[in-house]
Amino acid sequence: MAEFASPFSIETPEGCEGWEEMYPPWALFDERRREHDENRLWFWNSMHFPVPMPAFDMVEVDTPYYALGGWQNRAFAVPAAAGVDYRVVNGYVYISSNPVTDPEKMAERARFFQQRAGYYFENWDELYGRWRERMEALNREVSEIPVPELPEYEPDAVVFEGGEPSWATLLASYRRALDCIERMWQYHFEFLLLGYGAYLTFSEFCKQALPDIPDQHISQMVAGIDVVLFRPDAELRRLARLAIDLGVADAFREGRSPDEIEAELGRSDAGRRWLEELEKVKDPWFNMGTGDGLYHYYGSWHDDPSIPYSSLIGHIAALQAGEDIERPTRELAERRDRLVREYEALLDEEARRTFRELLGLSRKVFPYVEEHKFYCDYWFQSRFFNKIREFGALLARHGFLEDGEDIFQLSRYEVMQALEELALTWSTGGEALGPHHWPQVARRRKELLKRLEGWTPPPALGRMPEAVVDPAIAMLWGVTPQQLQQWARAQRDGGGNELSGAAASPGEVEGPARVVRSLDEISEVRAGDILVCTSTSPAWAPIFSKIKATVTDIGGIMSHAAIVSREYGLPAVVGTGTATSRIKTGQRLRVDGTSGRVVILDG
Amino acid sequence: MANPAATRHTVRLEELGRAAEPRFGGKSTNLGELLASGIPVPPGFAIATGAFRRFLEENGIRERVGRSLRSADPDDVGGLRRISGELSGAVCSASLPEGLAREIIHRYRELAELAGEENPPVAVRSSAVGEDSEQATFAGQQKTYLWVRGAEGVCEAVRKCWASLYSPEALSYRARMAAAGGEPAMGVAVQMMVDAEVAGVMFTCNPLSGDPSTVAVNASWGLGEAVVAGEVTPDEYRLSKVTGEVLHRSIGRKHLEYRPDPSSAGVRVVEVEQARQGVPCLEEEHLQALVEIARRVERHFGTHQDIEWAIARGREMPGSLFIVQSRPVTTARRRSEGLPKARSAIELVMGTFGVVPDNGGRS
Repeated sequence: MAEFASPFSIETPEGCEGWEEMYPPWALFDERRREHDENRLWFWNSMHFPVPMPAFDMVEVDTPYYALGGWQNRAFAVPAAAGVDYRVVNGYVYISSNPVTDPEKMAERARFFQQRAGYYFENWDELYGRWRERMEALNREVSEIPVPELPEYEPDAVVFEGGEPSWATLLASYRRALDCIERMWQYHFEFLLLGYGAYLTFSEFCKQALPDIPDQHISQMVAGIDVVLFRPDAELRRLARLAIDLGVADAFREGRSPDEIEAELGRSDAGRRWLEELEKVKDPWFNMGTGDGLYHYYGSWHDDPSIPYSSLIGHIAALQAGEDIERPTRELAERRDRLVREYEALLDEEARRTFRELLGLSRKVFPYVEEHKFYCDYWFQSRFFNKIREFGALLARHGFLEDGEDIFQLSRYEVMQALEELALTWSTGGEALGPHHWPQVARRRKELLKRLEGWTPPPALGRMPEAVVDPAIAMLWGVTPQQLQQWARAQRDGGGNELSGAAASPGEVEGPARVVRSLDEISEVRAGDILVCTSTSPAWAPIFSKIKATVTDIGGIMSHAAIVSREYGLPAVVGTGTATSRIKTGQRLRVDGTSGRVVILDG
Repeated sequence: MANPAATRHTVRLEELGRAAEPRFGGKSTNLGELLASGIPVPPGFAIATGAFRRFLEENGIRERVGRSLRSADPDDVGGLRRISGELSGAVCSASLPEGLAREIIHRYRELAELAGEENPPVAVRSSAVGEDSEQATFAGQQKTYLWVRGAEGVCEAVRKCWASLYSPEALSYRARMAAAGGEPAMGVAVQMMVDAEVAGVMFTCNPLSGDPSTVAVNASWGLGEAVVAGEVTPDEYRLSKVTGEVLHRSIGRKHLEYRPDPSSAGVRVVEVEQARQGVPCLEEEHLQALVEIARRVERHFGTHQDIEWAIARGREMPGSLFIVQSRPVTTARRRSEGLPKARSAIELVMGTFGVVPDNGGRS
């Protein structure tokens, strides 16, 4: 059985001493549970957490894993898998799933699971309809949480109408913001497991019946054509046509900022009409994310309108050049139907019946799998972090922080402490300690994070498990027994000049590598480069039109990099484990997205 | 014997349908069916099994075979080889029935006119009845003579095909089986040769797993014999039958190739120059055309097919691709046997999460 480095053997990079202060004690590898932690497999969740975690952003690690475990282990009682544990090493998040292996326990859990999961599958559409309503309400709730100004004198309403004192509102509002993110993660995982499970079952059935079927054909048969995630861009295309129809297309010139464009539009009736239409589109479609949502620095189109505006400029130019900018939905639907028809025809009658049923179920659950990203990861997250920014701005105004943005350098408990002291000293008029304390903390941690970014986390730590039992782990992270073996081999012998991963999008190309380790480095990507990265998120979308192929450290066939590569027709190999540490920018690579192999040609 | 058709020993391939199998053998009728359904197959003609029967009778060979087999010891290799030599010699030196020789000359001239060449090269292959049965294989009824030129050469190759029934191995098999049922019915297919720049075989399923969604292609330089006989490591492709995508590809070292012998008739093996050995011998358009043909051939016969194909030298696609043979795949495993059985999709999904059904469910 292959072994990886012990999590207890990892050294702190120079100058990063004390990094542990940013994280809750239970999230660290601790000698007191060494025996337990050393004998299991931990792998770096670089798909969700590619860079070191700022202290506040740990809320995006803690809460999701409570919620995931809560549903998987305690609510649905998935027979073979409890929840997923995590630890932070040098700022990076490692995860490990807790299997259930006792047959009696599994049988006991199976009784719960069948009844409870069965209820969800049977009532899926209705339950999911209600879910959407709850999620939209939550998204509005988090936006509307009041962050009081802490005035010199309380307003009349507090005194004459029994209103809540400002200090109490402040603390309650912060607690409510945390309460909202807990609920969001609850909702997020309510359907996710069952959705992925149904999809995975269909996928496995296809592979048993038709061993050569490419993964992308399976996902194409299931994926929705008209899903929410495509709506924001569809709305932009509509606005592009409207700009031409209204005769205001000239305002959209390459190189102009959104403010400049809006200023020009504001000077004409037609332009103002266009702006009115834009306002209608913004809610909810400008809640589209610029990243995968799990760090505070990702926002939405509301926060960075240059993204939708640059799309608008592109769409308008394309329309004026007589190009068709619509998504080829009819062709996509035809291709999807053709795949289904042809694969069905290859099966005998009984297999065809099962195929159809599983496909039907997968298609029923898939809108959730695709759409939860919009409701949770983009819409909610951008609103939530903006709400936290309001608290940050308040703390900065009172000298507790040098800059409102520094609030993300404090853990959520520390923010509570800072706010409590602010509430206290605002109320008493006393001398606050916070302004002497928190700015230094924030400064130190920003420096730590910058240094930790230079460390390359190994893909896995600890000991190889008997089997990967958690369906979500295999599908989302691409962590399969084969993948682990390959990581172990690469660790042992350096892996030569070849890497392998999941064949995520077919085709073979050669070209120069561009290793990109964070969003900031994206601007360095040149046309014709092969993108080598830990993983990608929607924020990376603009570069897919430039690059020739994608290679990632982490990710399965349903990961963002895989999906976008297929849409762009670019070869992709995902989940190689070590691409960013073994490949150097400028090396020539051959990427075979059909077999999942990457060769360093001048290694 | 009054029926005039009974004296007609040959027929153009395109006139043959499945019903003619007992009279012309499997190879010829399969080619006829392919032609009739518009698959590009080189033209040719078929010789009926009756011609062979008449040949044996007219030359008194049938009795000699009977006598030899009765006296033969299936384990006496030397004895079998001697008998084989005698019988083959008799077959190869006896004259063809009068009508048959005339028909072969006539059919060959038809081909010559089509080819615009006086002595076009043809392939002469045995076409046994029940060809794909194990018995036919044992009986040695799988002979092929390539690049045969001239009507005289065709007649000689036909005799050699027939004579192949008396190889030592075939005789041993028949002596062991006590020669039940008399002489095997043996037809012959004569087909214009393709001067193949590249040739090979393809299966309309994955030959290992039986996956019906793939087409497996093996290809090498020159005539298809190098691939069929396993004398080179061919280029191997696995293509999606549904979309035509290349799912797997490995390029072999194709160190030799069969080419027509320029000095006379027949083919010879030549070394492939170093630089060309590792070069992929098929382009994307060839692969797409092969998948399309695989789909059509399979649809026509309704079963997985093992297809021999060739790409003619000096011609442009799509006109350069020819199918020279197709027969059913009998070895591939049926996929559905190992598939999970369940009462419903939900039950299968439950299995994914580790729920073991109480009865008859997922294994």
